[in-house]
Amino acid sequence: MPDRIALRAPLSDDFVGVVRLIVGGVAERADLGFEDMDDLQLAVERLLAEAVSLGYVALRFEIGPGRVRTSVGPLHSEALARALQEPDDGPATLTLGRILSTVVSSYGVETVADGHIVVRLEKVMEDAG
Amino acid sequence: MRESREVSRLRARAEDRDLLRRYQEYGDVLARERLVSRHLPLVRALARRYAGRGEPLEDIEQVGAIGLLKAIDRFELEREVSLATYATPNVVGEIKRHFRDKGWAIRVPRALQELNARMAQAIDRLTSKLGRSPSVAEIAEALDTTPEAVLEALEVGSAYTTLSLSPVPGAEDGEADPLDVIGEEDAGFERWEDRADLEPALGQLAMREREILRMRFEEGLPQTQIADRVGLSQMHVSRLIRKSLAAMRDELAS
Repeated sequence: MPDRIALRAPLSDDFVGVVRLIVGGVAERADLGFEDMDDLQLAVERLLAEAVSLGYVALRFEIGPGRVRTSVGPLHSEALARALQEPDDGPATLTLGRILSTVVSSYGVETVADGHIVVRLEKVMEDAG
Repeated sequence: MRESREVSRLRARAEDRDLLRRYQEYGDVLARERLVSRHLPLVRALARRYAGRGEPLEDIEQVGAIGLLKAIDRFELEREVSLATYATPNVVGEIKRHFRDKGWAIRVPRALQELNARMAQAIDRLTSKLGRSPSVAEIAEALDTTPEAVLEALEVGSAYTTLSLSPVPGAEDGEADPLDVIGEEDAGFERWEDRADLEPALGQLAMREREILRMRFEEGLPQTQIADRVGLSQMHVSRLIRKSLAAMRDELAS
């Protein structure tokens, strides 16, 4: 049975550090290496940065051995949703999708109510993959 | 009550557009001045959020006013969005840049600073010894501290380089948050539309940062290999990546 953590945080730059600390703590509990932890922090940080900075965001973490599943949302940004649902243009284009596909093992986008999206990220430790 | 507030908001928006048209199409500088004075309260409200960080409030307001002027100059009349919504990220961006340029530093406990300074070497040493990226627990053990202290020290280092300056939401001084005043309907405003594509902002980065991003996101190299190639610590590479992506986002937002 994986451990779960849920967090509701203001969508504000001031709280990005708090979220990073929590993501770091979660990654540490999953025994992810420093680089994997840093990747997951970067993925969450970029998502929050690209979302419209109003209101709150929910983050949910599911912690298994060598693996962290994270969901971020609901986020409101049509452009963000479009960008993440379109196919990756390839390594030569630096888009958010390219960043996510580089730093996490997999990610997916789920459309919820009112054009909001929830982004699911999975980071698996390289050795545990 | 709600309806009358809505009516007055729409009226103000229409007046702004009229002034913007007069300025942009006929070069009416009086219209521009009028727009500035109409939106100075927004600038002041945003500036107050950054007060108490070592800069006189008047200076922050002046810097914010530059952001407002830029917003007025760049505003495209075809866009169905209010000037206040458009101006807010410009004003905030200008203020943030000001603090960055002034080398604003956060207060960090000495113990965390020292731990942070020791960490880069420890991570590189452990990576080399273990043949993989060390866990936080391993870093903590090597530095004779706790995993929590390692995480905190890492965060301190990140904060020092990226300088998060956005104000805490919720009015401490009893005023409404300007972002709340702007209203929900503009939340999906076009200024975000290109933000998922950072490519156009790559050019403003230094050559080394561009090369690091290329290695990470085009070649897909891990930070450890990038660190070896460029002769920096893995921690430094991590910070440069974060800082570069944040700078590119700021560039696009402004």
